Amino acid sequence: MSATRIIDKKKLADFLETLSSDCEVIIPTVEDGNLLFSELGSSKLEDSFKGRPIVSPKEYLFPQKEKILAFDTTDKVNVDIKAYTNDKKRVIWGIRPCDLHGIKTLDAIYLSDFVDTYYQARRKNTIMMGLNCNEPCETCFCNSCQTGPFASEAYDVVFTDLGDKYLVKVGSDAGQEAVDKIPNLFAEATNDDEKKAGELEEKSKQSFQRKVDVDVAKQNLPESWDDALWAEESEMCILCGGCNFTCPTCHCFNIEDVQCGEKASIRMRYWDSCQLGGFTQMAAENTRENQAARLRQRIFHKYIYTPDKYDGAIGCTGCGRCIEVCPVNIDITHILGRVASK
Amino acid sequence: MIENIYVPHLMTITKIRDEAENVKTFTLEFKDSQIGKNFDYKPGQFGEVTLFNIGEAPISITSSPANKGYLELSVANVGKVTSALHQKNEGDVIGFRGPYGNGFPFEEVSGKNILFVAGGIGLAPLRSLINQMFAERNKFGKISILYGCRIPNLLCFQNELDNWAKLENSEVLLTVDACPENDWKGNIGVVGSLLPNIDIDLENTVAFVCGPPVMIHFVILDLLKMGFSGDNIITTMERRMECGLGKCGHCNIGEKYVCKDGPVFSYQQLKELGENI
Repeated sequence: MSATRIIDKKKLADFLETLSSDCEVIIPTVEDGNLLFSELGSSKLEDSFKGRPIVSPKEYLFPQKEKILAFDTTDKVNVDIKAYTNDKKRVIWGIRPCDLHGIKTLDAIYLSDFVDTYYQARRKNTIMMGLNCNEPCETCFCNSCQTGPFASEAYDVVFTDLGDKYLVKVGSDAGQEAVDKIPNLFAEATNDDEKKAGELEEKSKQSFQRKVDVDVAKQNLPESWDDALWAEESEMCILCGGCNFTCPTCHCFNIEDVQCGEKASIRMRYWDSCQLGGFTQMAAENTRENQAARLRQRIFHKYIYTPDKYDGAIGCTGCGRCIEVCPVNIDITHILGRVASK
Repeated sequence: MIENIYVPHLMTITKIRDEAENVKTFTLEFKDSQIGKNFDYKPGQFGEVTLFNIGEAPISITSSPANKGYLELSVANVGKVTSALHQKNEGDVIGFRGPYGNGFPFEEVSGKNILFVAGGIGLAPLRSLINQMFAERNKFGKISILYGCRIPNLLCFQNELDNWAKLENSEVLLTVDACPENDWKGNIGVVGSLLPNIDIDLENTVAFVCGPPVMIHFVILDLLKMGFSGDNIITTMERRMECGLGKCGHCNIGEKYVCKDGPVFSYQQLKELGENI
């Protein structure tokens, strides 16, 4: 890969606008006080961003609801089946390292064994441009999960905010190609630039308010299976599903056929939540019948099952969104802390 | 262009047979004969069945791979998709994608005596294996089939049960929980109550258990009490499923997805998975 570069902050908009001539460019933007992803053009690029968007960019790869198939039974015998396709090209700029890692986890799930056609099409057409975190939020614990605050992998290009300019590192051929479109916007980074980025990384690492001993928690989790803590921690849950819906790695979905007139329907898929009672409901019984078992499933899935199944990496990015969104203060770092201290 | 794993194939219902009260057996053939020719499966695998404009449901294949050219599904009318299927006629078209799941061990248990314990519609997936074993009869020792239902009207595959009973080195024992009509001459009691009636060579017998969860639970306890090892008890797991592909997450237990890594597990494996079975 090419040497590290810098781009003047004022020129970043030019860079992204140039890219937007043949693809959709997504950037973080502030709406009603919330940092969200939205399309460049309808939103303006700010000079700097604090924190991480309240939802991850997962939506752009695995939408909350999505049409997958259309059926037409006008001809009863030769039923017409149409598969929806998606070939929109997209650049997402400003993806925090936690979310880059989240996409890596989704890749492992959706692109292994049976390849998920819909995810694969979007993933292939998406260029991921990361933005390192100089200032973690109050609920962040990516440092404990080793997914941040600075990205070491899973990006096409990653930016570091150096104040009046960004340090730019390229991580893939697709990233290189994007940067090469307007090479004169970029200059070679100096040793001082690299040094400053290194200092910012160190400073960021020191400023986490939350720490989880992930290794010990992981080690203790199997023993905690029957512990009272699951009932205690889940007691207040109001089944809103927010923890799942804001999680960058939650990948569960429902498939549902929606009728369109008498002889046609659309097969949709929607995000689903393992915290909802109906998630495991079958005709005769519900195999996960209380909230304690459902909370345990969420934590075990992230910290035990995902690493066991896919290359050892945990399925939690430490982004802290499930803590932030929870209306009754169910706090994964508190739960893991309890487990680790057993 | 890779294959879209969610697209069902069209299948024509070529035959419908009333199997038992509220249960019908559907014979299906792929509309595209090329797909039919390449379609292969193992006993214990299942498919996602689409009733167009209604929905999709996972249903086990009851025919045996020894019978080429068609599939059979035996389906109880219990939900939205299955009741729509029950309203279909011969000649109608439905969707099917699969086969999914790991299927029952076959070569791995050759040389053994085989004990089947089935409850209700749970005989459907086992029937696939039973017929494949009879098709390769010399690979197995004694084949015992214990089958129970709530009432006599629910017994499926009655002709086949009669035929299996007549085959060499095999036995079929039936029971019902109750007989309101009083016309049942056989055993009355849960299927586990048949176990003391058969001779079992523990070291050389593998048990296949399939039925409603509560029946599986008690039969496994019976088998363990008899001295079966957890490795020699094979059962199927029932979980809510949507995709059948290990993606949608509903059937996750431990690091396994029942749809992809199961639905067939040994009791030993189930114990290690953790969650209640």
